[in-house]
Amino acid sequence: MKKGLRWKIILVVLVILLALFLAYPPGEKINLGLDLEGGMHLVFQVVTDDAINTETDQEIIRLQDQLKRKNIEYEKITKGEIGKFSIQKINPDQEGQIKNLLDDYFKEWNYSVIGDTFSLSMRANVAQYLRDQSVNQAKETIQNRVDEFGVAEPVIQRQGLGGERLIVELPGVENPERVMNIIKTTAILQWKLVNAGPAPDRETLLKDFGGEVPEDMEVLRGDPKRTEGGYYLVSRVAPITGQDLRAARQSTDEWNSPAVGFTLKTEGGRRFEKFTSENLGKPLSIILDGRVQSVATIEDVIPAATGGIIRGKFTYEDVEDLVLILKAGSLPATIKTLENRTIGPSLGADSIRKGLSSIAIALILVLVFMVFYYRLSGFNAIAALLLNIIILMGALSYFKATLTLPGIAGIILTIGMAVDANVLVFERIREELSLGKSVWSSIATGFSRAFRTILDANVTTIVAAVFLFQFGTGPIRGFAVTLIIGITASMFTAVFVSHLIFDIILSKRKKREKLSI
Amino acid sequence: MKFKFLAFGLSGIIILVGILNFTVGKGINYGVDFTGGTLIRLMFKHPVEISELRNSLGNIGLGASKIQEMGKGHREYIIRTAQVIEGELEQEIEAHEIIGNRVVEALKGEDEKSAAEQGLRDLNSLDKGELTAALQDMFSDQAAEMADKIVSFRVNKGIIEDYTQIQDLGISREAVEHLKEKTYLSRLTVLSKETVGPQIGHDLRRRATQATVWALIGMLIYIGIRFKFGFGISAVITLAHDVLVTITIFAISGREMNLPVIAAILTIVGYSLNDTIVIFDRVRDNIKTLRKHTFQEVLDSSINQTLSRTVITSGTTLLTVLALFLFGGEVISDFAFTMIIGVVVGTYSSIYQSCSWLYFWKKIFKPKKGFGR
Repeated sequence: MKKGLRWKIILVVLVILLALFLAYPPGEKINLGLDLEGGMHLVFQVVTDDAINTETDQEIIRLQDQLKRKNIEYEKITKGEIGKFSIQKINPDQEGQIKNLLDDYFKEWNYSVIGDTFSLSMRANVAQYLRDQSVNQAKETIQNRVDEFGVAEPVIQRQGLGGERLIVELPGVENPERVMNIIKTTAILQWKLVNAGPAPDRETLLKDFGGEVPEDMEVLRGDPKRTEGGYYLVSRVAPITGQDLRAARQSTDEWNSPAVGFTLKTEGGRRFEKFTSENLGKPLSIILDGRVQSVATIEDVIPAATGGIIRGKFTYEDVEDLVLILKAGSLPATIKTLENRTIGPSLGADSIRKGLSSIAIALILVLVFMVFYYRLSGFNAIAALLLNIIILMGALSYFKATLTLPGIAGIILTIGMAVDANVLVFERIREELSLGKSVWSSIATGFSRAFRTILDANVTTIVAAVFLFQFGTGPIRGFAVTLIIGITASMFTAVFVSHLIFDIILSKRKKREKLSI
Repeated sequence: MKFKFLAFGLSGIIILVGILNFTVGKGINYGVDFTGGTLIRLMFKHPVEISELRNSLGNIGLGASKIQEMGKGHREYIIRTAQVIEGELEQEIEAHEIIGNRVVEALKGEDEKSAAEQGLRDLNSLDKGELTAALQDMFSDQAAEMADKIVSFRVNKGIIEDYTQIQDLGISREAVEHLKEKTYLSRLTVLSKETVGPQIGHDLRRRATQATVWALIGMLIYIGIRFKFGFGISAVITLAHDVLVTITIFAISGREMNLPVIAAILTIVGYSLNDTIVIFDRVRDNIKTLRKHTFQEVLDSSINQTLSRTVITSGTTLLTVLALFLFGGEVISDFAFTMIIGVVVGTYSSIYQSCSWLYFWKKIFKPKKGFGR
């Protein structure tokens, strides 16, 4: 045996071993996609306008504070479109003073003056930063919640650069509705004083207030799941919010019903203590995402260190989920569902079964065809094909790529297309043989002349697959990946390995006149 | 080459049909991936007639939903809820989800509603943890193991039809009785539920078109580099032809256009080019070796020399896609169907069209280099 041949054999054996080592056992090493394993694929839009609105609200409060301190007169401040508000009916003599104030302390805002009105709008770069931040925060919060809930290997990513969409993939989730609820709850928790309510409608609620909502109050509805429903008139300002929480845990109230226990951070605790002492006997509501959860009368001063409980008509599961959400923190903005694909595990199992049997059938069909048409050389092509699939599996597990149902289709397609390289070579060899050349030189020219064609033909398929990868999500990407790997591997198996097999066979034979092709 | 006008005629007619179908006909039947909506796959315990499903949905005002049977045996169905309400996008997707739930509720029927109201839970939708918890109080040590058995049986079969099936798994009679007290068996289980918002669909349409066009341009550039420009143009015209004809035939078939179908079409772009390149490669060789022959003769002999290869490769690919179509199951069948059309069209066009375009290119532009006599 020639020396070169030996090295080539060693190389091929090493490649096979490496691929087997990487891919065995396939059940553990190959990452299955959601469509095969079952799970949820979710796409959310982060409503980044919310972040801008929150920031605007806070800035307005800061401005009101400053204006008051400087004794600047104005009639009112009104919010306009997103990221805009105006100070109306100022005293013209104080215009300069306001300008100074804005220049010094409100650098994030552009302003213009028309008559006695100051119009402010958030600078574009500031707004952009806030939006970007809110998407990142939302991503982190969802990540925390999903981790807390205990989903194995979740994938959470932003779609595109600077996009406002989040893709969330949760394999093997068994209880989709509960998970969805955990992810989507904004979880903005507030404690507010109740001034009136509950009332069946707004009119009854506002009867004592002359039918109008006082400026420092707002109307909220009761959460239909936790209260009797109805309308509440609550203070606009929340003395304590979810941000003051130190910890939340599962607990029970005095009637042994499930409730959420909490403790407050030092600062918040002190504020709560002062607040409760000033408002003894008044009803206090706990509000989650703008819905009143429960109302209780402040009967005692609540000392800073004690904390308290959140009551409502909770089930144990509700409490468990709410604690989880509170621990993970609130979302900086609401999120909208754009896409929700939930695949049950049995559909995936069925797809795997059918996919595998299709692969087997496809292999057998191609094998029969190749052996029928190319006689013994057909086995050469089949050897190359099997090696191709082994390499494909090894590569899939090495790159931690996901195998999806379209990915299985990609493998099947690879089976059909990878033999193309063999066919091209074999046809060339046949041509050379028919010209009367020797077996040895026919094989050599066959391979060398077919190689350029194989390269060109395969590159185009790969180019198409790359565009496909760019375009697609989850399952489709799986298809593009298997196709790219399979076709690349076919250049090695169908050219290098097949050539080697011919060489080995010929080097063992004394007579080299015939080739079964 | 003899048949070039016949081939042009045939393709012309198909594409014309396609254009007519788009403009005055029904056009493409877009699936939920593009239009938005909810697609629910259901499996029933016992065979159910499609008319019964239609009645149940009709009763809750969702009679316009599309119902399609999967496989044989009247047990598996795909239901696609009709489009709902125009209005704010947010409302729309929530509405889709609500309607999806209503469909499932309606098909479950009244008996199950009352079972659920009595506090019983559906054994077919309990997860492993809940099942373990349900068994824990009486069978503390074995609870997890039992739950495991039941769940893997369910994953395998899709739905538990009867409590005796559980007993057959080697779970004790007492345990089964215990489960019977706490659970009931729903007549159906949801295999998958996919809700897609309209925004996603809009995006997808744009991105699918972009991807196809960019892939074509990518091909043009690659062939332009490896061959002469005229070859690139001819190949891309052939490809565009393949895409159009495939889409036309697909549209006429009435199948739903979904993500995997787009993947198939893009794959066809790559695949069909493959054949064309092999032929063009021969043309390039033959132009050098067959100097005495006319261009048309060079083209003809190139096609003939590569013919067996073209047919064999398409043959093997067709065999594999056929296997996928017949045995791969309902989920992948649209993809496989598109691939079958694409492979056939791609092969036909490589043989009968690609060289004709090359021929016309030479006749019209009379390039000085690289095209022989």
